[in-house]
Amino acid sequence: MRPTNIFLTAILSMLFIIPALAQYDMTAQEVVEAAYHRPTGEDMTAELEMILINRQGDRRVREIKQFGKDFGDVEKTIMFFLSPADVRNTSFMNWSYDEAKDDDQWIYLPALKRVRRISGDSKSDYFMGSDFTYDDLGDRHSEDDEHTILRLEEIDGVESYVIESIPKDKDYMYSRTVTWIAKDKWIALKREFYDDRGEYLKTLRVKEYDNIQGYWTILHSEMENEQRQHRTVMQFKNLEYDTGVSENMFTERMMTRGL
Amino acid sequence: MKRIVFVLLLLGLIGQGVFAQGISMYGYGRTYWGGFMQHDGEYSILQNTLDLRFDHRGSRTSLFANPVVYYYPDQDLDILLRQAYLDLHFDSMDIRLGKQQIIWGKADGVFITDILSPKDLREFLLPDFEEIRLGINALKTSYYRGNSTYEFVWMPVFQKGLMPSDTSRWAPRKPGFLAGAEYDYSNAEVEKKFENSQFAFRYSLLASAADIELVAAYVWDELPTNHVYRTIDQETNQMTGLIVRPEHHRLGVFGGSFSTTKGGFVIRGEGAYYTGKHFNTTESAHIGGTVRRDYLHYLAGVEYILWGATISGQLIQETILNHDDYIMQDQFRNTATFLISKDYRRETIRLELFTYYGIDDNDALIRPKMTYDFADGFEILAGANIFLGDGVGYFGQFEKNDMIYVKVKYNF
Repeated sequence: MRPTNIFLTAILSMLFIIPALAQYDMTAQEVVEAAYHRPTGEDMTAELEMILINRQGDRRVREIKQFGKDFGDVEKTIMFFLSPADVRNTSFMNWSYDEAKDDDQWIYLPALKRVRRISGDSKSDYFMGSDFTYDDLGDRHSEDDEHTILRLEEIDGVESYVIESIPKDKDYMYSRTVTWIAKDKWIALKREFYDDRGEYLKTLRVKEYDNIQGYWTILHSEMENEQRQHRTVMQFKNLEYDTGVSENMFTERMMTRGL
Repeated sequence: MKRIVFVLLLLGLIGQGVFAQGISMYGYGRTYWGGFMQHDGEYSILQNTLDLRFDHRGSRTSLFANPVVYYYPDQDLDILLRQAYLDLHFDSMDIRLGKQQIIWGKADGVFITDILSPKDLREFLLPDFEEIRLGINALKTSYYRGNSTYEFVWMPVFQKGLMPSDTSRWAPRKPGFLAGAEYDYSNAEVEKKFENSQFAFRYSLLASAADIELVAAYVWDELPTNHVYRTIDQETNQMTGLIVRPEHHRLGVFGGSFSTTKGGFVIRGEGAYYTGKHFNTTESAHIGGTVRRDYLHYLAGVEYILWGATISGQLIQETILNHDDYIMQDQFRNTATFLISKDYRRETIRLELFTYYGIDDNDALIRPKMTYDFADGFEILAGANIFLGDGVGYFGQFEKNDMIYVKVKYNF
């Protein structure tokens, strides 16, 4: 190709690319990281109610009390299962690291009276029979996927970035997700999940969120699994931040003692 | 019948009182029917259970009680108090006083450092482990520092485990040399006095790299040693019989366990060194027909999740140190366990297969089980216990006791 043609091609290309870049004031990676690093307080306590609804409309309810604390390089969470009766006094603890390292997880089963270490690799397992996997409930590291801004779109009256994320790990349970992240609040208001065959699987919708103590917080969300015709409603109650949760909450002692 | 009505009325009154005092009451009711696949369809078990837990918690104290009522159609009510204890909570310390289950170690279905709570083996290893372990009267002091726990346990009175009666289908097969022997239980009890107390200590750490436990204990061997004495006719100098005197002996135990994860695998290990264990011998020169040897018991296990199924295996070995040929028990005893379980339909159905395999005797206990959560807190279980072996071995001795069962359980 002659140098003049190369130069013209480059100029013409830039005429298309620059406006496209100027359309979004952030890159997809920056948007996802803003959501990932959204302030969530030094610690939190909350009551969580999960309602599992099958295609016949039958409901099963799980009640959990949970505590979380950010220790800087590690975030610790502990959950105490309050109901149903067969899981009462069961507790689950998760330590999640900023660095690329598997979570450490333990479960206390009252029938065994032991704290048992479980594999942090089981993130694709569904949590307590719900439509949320452990990974869905946790914070997926922003560098685990390749992100692309598809468009800007208004959802529930809020302008949002629509981000497509494709996992770098080809064996991951989802082939892609599409997330609507609210501009300025950095909350994922909606997320579509596609299974490992690229088929549409389920959708997460945030039904209610609020600014609690200066932190944008999701209070009510629903996951609808289209393939399995099953739905999970997740609601937080009595949520409080920065109450000074003790580091001693995240210990074997608390797991066995319970609330 | 009157006793049943009385118990139900009493429980109703207790329940009312409980709610009035702000005490939590929960537990389960269960019906358990099982039948032998041989023995002409004889029922192996017809049991109804009411397991109640009372829990009162204050900021510094808490009280817990766990009475259990077992009802068998052809027997009297069996009422036991599995646990009843008081907790005192301090900033870095807890004290628990009373009857309690104390469970240590990481192994599944194997008791290596888990030696403090005696076991109810009246139905072999078939009941749930929570039911196999008996509560023991103890003072347990736990001191916490970061992710470390230091536990000191004093058990003032030795409590032996429960074994099946000689007429039970679960009575272990007596060794051949004891056939026709007369039993003298005069030494079978451990006197209730301070010098016969049991003591134990455990250090445990929960950490990212690994969970570890270190254990030391000075206890009584839960299993009595059968000391064998010959009766000799003074005139003919001929042996006229055998007298067996069961006796419990002291054990020193030092051991530990660990659990860690690596690349999706959960790796476990546990081991203990026992001093002062007694073993039967063939030598007539040995007083009581026994010798003392030190003894090791250890295992390695691994767990992995594959296609949503939990798969777990353990290899266990017992070793008698300084073994001699006249010791009746083999120097090594090798066992393996295997577990595979998977949930379906949003954890409403669980399929599980747990197997014990006696490597040396080529015997096994295979336990398939299906659990169906009909509704929250309401489950139906169906399963089987299959014993393999030619009448020999720890499991094979029960080869005629294959059984199928159904349990219906309501948690409240």
